[in-house]
Amino acid sequence: MQFAFTVMFHYLFPIATMGLAPFVAWYTYKAAGGRDEEAQRAARFWMKIFAINFAAGVVTGIPMEFQFGTNWAAFAARTGAVVGQPLALEGVYAFFLESVFLGVLFYGRRFVGARLHALSAVLVCLGAWLSGYFIVCTDAWMQHPVGYTIVPDGRIGLTNLGAVLLSRFALWQVAHVLTGALISGGFIVAGVGAYYLLAHRNEALGRRFVRDGTIVGLLFSLIAIFPTGDGNGADVTRWQPAKLAAMEGLFTSQAGAPLAIIGMPDVKQQRLVDPIYVPRLLSYLAYGNWKANVRGIDAYPSALRPPIELTYYAYHIMVGLGTIFVAVCALGGVLLVSGKLYGARPVLWALMLLMPFPYIANEAGWIVTEVGRQPWIVYGVMRTSAAASATVPAGEALFTLLGFAGMYFVLGVLVLHLMLREIGKGPVSAP
Amino acid sequence: MTVAAFALVACMLTVYVMLDGYDLGIATSLSAVARNERERAAAIRAIGPFWNGNEVWLIATGAVLFALFPKAYASAFSGFYLPFIVVLWLLMFRGIAMELRGHFDSVLWREFWDAAFSASSALLLALFGIALGNLLRGLPLDAHGYFMGTLAYLLNGYALLVGIFAVLVLVQHGLAFLSLRVDGAFSQRVRGLASHLWWVSAGGYVAVTAATFAVRGSTLALSPVAPVALLSIVALLLLRRWILRERDVAAFLASCAFVSTLLAEAAATIFPYLLPARPLGHGGLSIYDAQPNPIALVTAFVTTIAGLTVVVAYSAFVARRMMERIRVDD
Repeated sequence: MQFAFTVMFHYLFPIATMGLAPFVAWYTYKAAGGRDEEAQRAARFWMKIFAINFAAGVVTGIPMEFQFGTNWAAFAARTGAVVGQPLALEGVYAFFLESVFLGVLFYGRRFVGARLHALSAVLVCLGAWLSGYFIVCTDAWMQHPVGYTIVPDGRIGLTNLGAVLLSRFALWQVAHVLTGALISGGFIVAGVGAYYLLAHRNEALGRRFVRDGTIVGLLFSLIAIFPTGDGNGADVTRWQPAKLAAMEGLFTSQAGAPLAIIGMPDVKQQRLVDPIYVPRLLSYLAYGNWKANVRGIDAYPSALRPPIELTYYAYHIMVGLGTIFVAVCALGGVLLVSGKLYGARPVLWALMLLMPFPYIANEAGWIVTEVGRQPWIVYGVMRTSAAASATVPAGEALFTLLGFAGMYFVLGVLVLHLMLREIGKGPVSAP
Repeated sequence: MTVAAFALVACMLTVYVMLDGYDLGIATSLSAVARNERERAAAIRAIGPFWNGNEVWLIATGAVLFALFPKAYASAFSGFYLPFIVVLWLLMFRGIAMELRGHFDSVLWREFWDAAFSASSALLLALFGIALGNLLRGLPLDAHGYFMGTLAYLLNGYALLVGIFAVLVLVQHGLAFLSLRVDGAFSQRVRGLASHLWWVSAGGYVAVTAATFAVRGSTLALSPVAPVALLSIVALLLLRRWILRERDVAAFLASCAFVSTLLAEAAATIFPYLLPARPLGHGGLSIYDAQPNPIALVTAFVTTIAGLTVVVAYSAFVARRMMERIRVDD
């Protein structure tokens, strides 16, 4: 519970850093020529927003790193030989890169040349993405364990790190996670730009932000559906069919299974309430065959079923929001090409108001991944119930949960305040 | 291999203490050393570009410990659950305090956050020292290597002494760093403070050494600590000499040497245990109990060494480029 809370809160910040890092790098690169004064202001502005999120990400990330030990001691002791690897790689290869070169990016313009400065921005971006890559590899291994063996004392031993880092499951998941972050980045940039245009402030840069953000948003919301979403779906179908059944709310196994667009799962009666179906589509999406048999929730004993409602709703929220993102960005793209976007106030309003929603879609995606994996912590190998620390009394866990809640509330208010202040100040000229 | 892995973790932890130690030390002594807002701002700017990267060493050390000795990671962090969470809170709080101080132009506001910043940093240093003290003293462990004692158990006299000593040494370390980062009269006063503090920390060194002999008794005589201890005494003497001669870089390096030899002594003392059991001499969680299967150990060791080589190279390059004295106008 504490872990779920802290990790969901923590993840808000990496979404922003992974999504914004390429924009920072891009504007810094454009500014390196020296002639594009606008890009210089843009780079400085997004750098500040990035830094706020990065700092909050580090501050909330430190507990994550250690909660594996504090709260999940049994899990850490048993699977550490594998799970420790990507975490160590992340620490050594990604965190240093990101933090050291963020220092250069932020304070170092006077000490290093323009080209090295731009390179720092690229390295910060690389660090942010590598960090995402390694941590998602950790999760992907928990979803689809590979490259391991069970040693005589029951612990898990590593046999092949390459298999862990390059498994099909991991690569698709990484691609999808990065795509999700880039959608968020695009919407943040476009949303801030839209705000400036609507408020008639900083309009030159506002136009640029709207343009760049919309292009990135459109591109990656399409990629999120195909190929990365599709690739993840195929992996889940192949290796975690129970999760698929829960995601889709398919209670009974059937040939030619329909796809539920909406509907509310009623677990007691084992059916969807008020559904709207597209006939046979689920069979086609899962197996590329309109008549294929898809196993429903009834195919699994109740001890092996994930929590159905949460998985189902989270999945539908993610997919529904993804569809909306494509629609809005496509509309924006069409208007952009015809040169009418900057005056189209309703679309600008939509872009501005949509800013928080990619966050929701990202978090919902993680809920599908993690809740849908239950009752396993390592799929098919170790149950979540066997993973927690035996020596930590429930009272202590509750106390620390309350402490984290208090601390994160303060931090959340602070970050929001700082970001709004920077946005309010706007991209003023560099000092 | 297992011994090399132990040395690697010890080295990483030492680097962490050497780096984050100075910014925690400066933070702890902020109100004592900086007299006005200009000086405080300069002191904070002196650590501004670095402290975040310094804390990464702690995160990385934790992660590498997890990979190299998963059982120790699990046992230590779940056993010391509450103290550990408190450390995490303090680290977070410290970051927040540092960020917040500059956000309103009000004397009261800044005074409050500066005090919070100093207090959380001082407490962190003390907690690190207390943790180290308990490791040296040995811990009550069950058959699986999990900690069985209570919170009150950890606050024993010896551990508290080591805690105080940690604060002293790292404040001195912080002053050594600060004196090379700022200029003029401020730098002069930092040096003066450092030379006064030297007597206290030298006294602390003698006290802790004596207490360690009392606690560890005969087990200490057998360990290869003596030559390292000689090195730390040399470093401590050189530190004084170079502070007085205003050779700031050399003084800071001497302080680094002092801190790292102290930690090397500690590591050599507890070896081959990661968590020595109390009463001493009766085992504990050793590096051989805690290691993963051989492939995992070798993989993590090699990837970590390779990565750290690159990290040290670019960190040194960046630090050299960005190191300049901060002007404090009088």
